[in-house]
Amino acid sequence: MTKTGPNEETLLDAALLRWMNDLAGHGILITDADLNIRAWNRWLEEHSEVSAAEVIGRNILEVYTELEKRRLDRHYKWVLEGQTRVLSQRLHGHLLPLPTDTSLSGFTEMQQTARISPLIHDGRVIGTITVIEDVTERVAREAELQAQVEARTQALAREKVARREAEEANHLKDEFLATVSHELRTPLTAILGWSNMALTGKLNAEAHDRALETIHRNAQSQNQLISDLLDVSRIISGKLRLDLRTVELPPIIEAAIEATRPAADAKDILLTTELDPRAGPINGDADRLQQVIWNLLTNAIKFTPGGGRILVRLESVGSQVEITVEDSGIGISREFLPHIFDRFRQADPGTNRMHGGMGLGLSIVRQLVELHGGTVRAESEGEGKGTTFVVSLPFVALREEPVMAERTLPTAINPLEIECPPSLQGLRVLVVDDEADTRELLRAVLEHCKSEVVTVGSASEALEALAQFRPDVLISDLGLPEEDGYVLIDKVRALSSEHGGQTPAAALTAYVRAEDRMRVLRSGFQLHVPKPIEPAELVAVVANLATRLGKG
Amino acid sequence: MELTDRQSDAVSELINIAFARTGAALSELTGQRVILNAPEVSMHPTAELPKVLAKFLPGEIASIHQVFAGPVAGDALLLLNHDGAVRLTDLLTDGQSPSSRLDESAREVLTEVGNILLNACLGMFGNLLDVHVSFSVPRLHLETLDELLDSLLTGKGEPQYALVIYTAFQIRDSAVRGFLVMVLSVASLDRLIQEVEAWEERQGQA
Repeated sequence: MTKTGPNEETLLDAALLRWMNDLAGHGILITDADLNIRAWNRWLEEHSEVSAAEVIGRNILEVYTELEKRRLDRHYKWVLEGQTRVLSQRLHGHLLPLPTDTSLSGFTEMQQTARISPLIHDGRVIGTITVIEDVTERVAREAELQAQVEARTQALAREKVARREAEEANHLKDEFLATVSHELRTPLTAILGWSNMALTGKLNAEAHDRALETIHRNAQSQNQLISDLLDVSRIISGKLRLDLRTVELPPIIEAAIEATRPAADAKDILLTTELDPRAGPINGDADRLQQVIWNLLTNAIKFTPGGGRILVRLESVGSQVEITVEDSGIGISREFLPHIFDRFRQADPGTNRMHGGMGLGLSIVRQLVELHGGTVRAESEGEGKGTTFVVSLPFVALREEPVMAERTLPTAINPLEIECPPSLQGLRVLVVDDEADTRELLRAVLEHCKSEVVTVGSASEALEALAQFRPDVLISDLGLPEEDGYVLIDKVRALSSEHGGQTPAAALTAYVRAEDRMRVLRSGFQLHVPKPIEPAELVAVVANLATRLGKG
Repeated sequence: MELTDRQSDAVSELINIAFARTGAALSELTGQRVILNAPEVSMHPTAELPKVLAKFLPGEIASIHQVFAGPVAGDALLLLNHDGAVRLTDLLTDGQSPSSRLDESAREVLTEVGNILLNACLGMFGNLLDVHVSFSVPRLHLETLDELLDSLLTGKGEPQYALVIYTAFQIRDSAVRGFLVMVLSVASLDRLIQEVEAWEERQGQA
């Protein structure tokens, strides 16, 4: 060990003091036991803009009176008792008020951490030493980091919620798919079974008729399921467009009632109406409104036991038009009432199995009504006490001539019971469709009404037939191979009237959106008939075309 | 060496006086009601510390450590588990920036709080013994219990004892629990216990 003499020790003390005073990277403040300032280093001079000469010899609590106000003087008292104190930035901000560059950190005062310790000699406290550290930048950096961590945590939480929602939606979809395939398969089983039996040729005439009737009924039920599914999918994807016009409600309601009356009659359900002719008109899509009422009626018939009654009422209530469908059916339990319009939601599976269907009808009703700016609600006193559905639609001032509903929904008409308008007798009809089954169906129906029918499978054949057969009326599918129905009608309309250029024509198609209908009508067809075709509708369309003969 | 019931009651009472002061100081400092209590006091040879502390302090530990010197000398520590340390900081700073980590500013808060608590307790004993102890600057460490005990106990020849005080900070319906540990030499401990007994007798007479 190197011996250090008293002289050398004094030199070291002096060097230490010089370092502390001139070079230390912290503020260093020394007081005596009375808290009179004895040292104020250069760092403090620079950061406080107060020179050592100004403060040496003065009491720290007098130089910085705010120490007492902020009760920080206690710390000096404790240090004088021998304790050591740490003053954190987060709890105090700063010990001494020193300016800082606000633009860099957002703080108006330097953020500090301070340590105050007693200076002890011979077991006696003879003074204090305060070391101040500038932590402004560090605190600003920590705050920034903290903000980033929080943002990431929030993003993570949002992601978690989104994932859970997606999983739930996926689950609902799976469940829905299972229901859909079950529901689609049910009528298919009947169709396949009965058609198999019919094809064996072993059925007697009565059984054969029953087979056909069953096949027909099931095919219709499946058709309804598919329409509902397509509607739901259009509604979900926001692709459903309303063809809005000013419409009168009574004819729409009556049409829907006529369409469902056979089903009500079959169950001996009394179907009555109270329609106020002054209610309306409203701004709406006649087809869609008819679908709403048809769905509500079908639902009511399904859930009303034989011998029950259904009342349809139309009335004005303030600025609204209300359509009420009230039945004496099985009612709805209080628990299920809030979910009755939920998409893909079924009442208890038992009920559904008994009554069939996917429960899409009411969801479609709500969506369609809401698209019309209206509301629909269900009321029931409980199970066994009947159900009342109320559709409210905003009334509009009459702006244009009301348009009557033109098309009725598919009805359960036996093809053999079609009433043939006399105009079809001897009418020459050219049918263009690439599907043999459709061609044969159209031929069978029209020939039943004593029309002369020629069927072809392509546009080029159709043009040939037009020249040779000289039809009175043309019915063409749109989706033809090579040249489609639009090309065909273009070519037909390009012909002179002597060559059949003015032949009234109807388009057959599975595309039934409003914009498709517009395109069809603009392209030169007079009418548009959605697939699958109902015999009665086909007959009506051909009869309509027949009335146009000679008018063009 | 074990504390008798009377001795441990007396130590508890003294610690509770120091804790009441600390609680008041922290309440004032943070602007919210802070209550500290010391439900359990026990004495153990330092060799038993791993066993005593292990079941309460799994994982990483935040320790605020101050060395004290003078006629009575030793180490004073406040021990909190990592989660407790984070929670205590959040509670004391009014949850301004709730976080799952201990940044530098949070560590400083813990250091300050530990410092106040340790000084209050040691100051209490110092007054009682009428001796002047001096303290090192407090240091905060984040380490496992093993690492902590290693650095605390190695290189100390004479047998040592630890006064272990189970503590609970109660702030805004939350409680953060930890340990106050004072490691003393046998001589220091003897002296402390004698003084505690004398104090207890004086209390009885008064």
